[in-house]
Amino acid sequence: MKTFATTVVELRQCFEQTVETHPFECGWADEAIVFVEPHNADPGDVVTLRVQLSPDGIRWLDEGTVLRVTEHAMARLTHFGGFLRLAGGATNAEGAATRTTLTVRIALKG
Amino acid sequence: MGNNGHGYFSPLPRVLVSDDFDRGMQGWLDLRPNFVGPDFRQHSDDVDLIHWGPTMLSSATFAFGGTHGSASGNYSLKISSRANAAPADKPPASGSMGLAIKRLSLPGKAKRLRIEALFAYKAEQDRPGLGINAIRALGVFVDLQDAKHRWMPGVRYVNAIAGKPVRRWQFYSKSDVTDAEWSYGLDGWHKTGIDPQWFGERASDGSSVATTWFDDGEQHLIYNESDDKLNWMPLSLTLDIERRAYESFRVGQRTFAFPKDAQPTLAPAYSDIEALLNPVFFVEADTARRVSLYLDSVQISIEEAP
Repeated sequence: MKTFATTVVELRQCFEQTVETHPFECGWADEAIVFVEPHNADPGDVVTLRVQLSPDGIRWLDEGTVLRVTEHAMARLTHFGGFLRLAGGATNAEGAATRTTLTVRIALKG
Repeated sequence: MGNNGHGYFSPLPRVLVSDDFDRGMQGWLDLRPNFVGPDFRQHSDDVDLIHWGPTMLSSATFAFGGTHGSASGNYSLKISSRANAAPADKPPASGSMGLAIKRLSLPGKAKRLRIEALFAYKAEQDRPGLGINAIRALGVFVDLQDAKHRWMPGVRYVNAIAGKPVRRWQFYSKSDVTDAEWSYGLDGWHKTGIDPQWFGERASDGSSVATTWFDDGEQHLIYNESDDKLNWMPLSLTLDIERRAYESFRVGQRTFAFPKDAQPTLAPAYSDIEALLNPVFFVEADTARRVSLYLDSVQISIEEAP
């Protein structure tokens, strides 16, 4: 039987400018789904998040997947090595940078 | 289950659980509050209880050393803080700790309880130098309840404060402050003695109304000489369940003596948790830098009354 674990890596976390989720170790898993839930967003707010990988949890590289979050969103991931995080930021209806509050869950299986 | 595959542990006769984290989280997860408020809000806002760092399965992989692995296998349980800290005489800052809990119950006529672990601790290797003094503290406690009392015995290693080494063990002891004094002036859900890892007025030297220093409590654990080198060290805390008292505490080659009849605060029983057995391990940051406590394995055992 495979192992499964969901971590709420960010819970109602307010990001003032840049979003960088906690470096999460997941080398045991073959697949991941990241779920992003925005809270208290104003109409027109968009959160853009890039999936990032890392050899060590310090140095991050874009994996290629980009989430454009206006409501509860997800992305399916495979072949991500030992560490995962999401990085990006939010803009408001006028296109200016704005704060955002997010819950990010990572569902891992392997 | 025995000795969990290695000889570090010396359990009491009945092993309840033996976790080595090579087969998953094995019931350990982030300690979070009760989401019973409107819109699933947390039950208590005395301290920010929802932003502690996450717990994960770690291969202990670093930039220059590669994968460290664990003492017996590949994976350990990594309990991490976020990059934030408050001064030592203030309540813990948002995200300044990481805490992992396992939720069990006491079986039969348990009269003694032993918590054993094989652990290591590290600051994130995100800058040159040695990060040992970025770690404020680490520790373990057990949330226990019987028909009369809820009590939380445990130990805390104060590693450094304001970047200066302390390297001393303390234990959670009896506090006679009011519930409001315990909870930083807010008389809420937390009765005196409950959650001593967060509550009880603190002082700048690492002492608090929740804790007492061991007389002989100074110990230089193995942090090693680089932020990517782990040494696995054994810890063993034994409790007298019948007397609600401490019995013994060992770390590495040292044994630390409790004062005679030492107890934590005996709080009134809470509703619907009789026979609770919830061990919690935690780590605390001293600066705006992530720190982690790694558990290769944990074993929980009891001795029953005849």
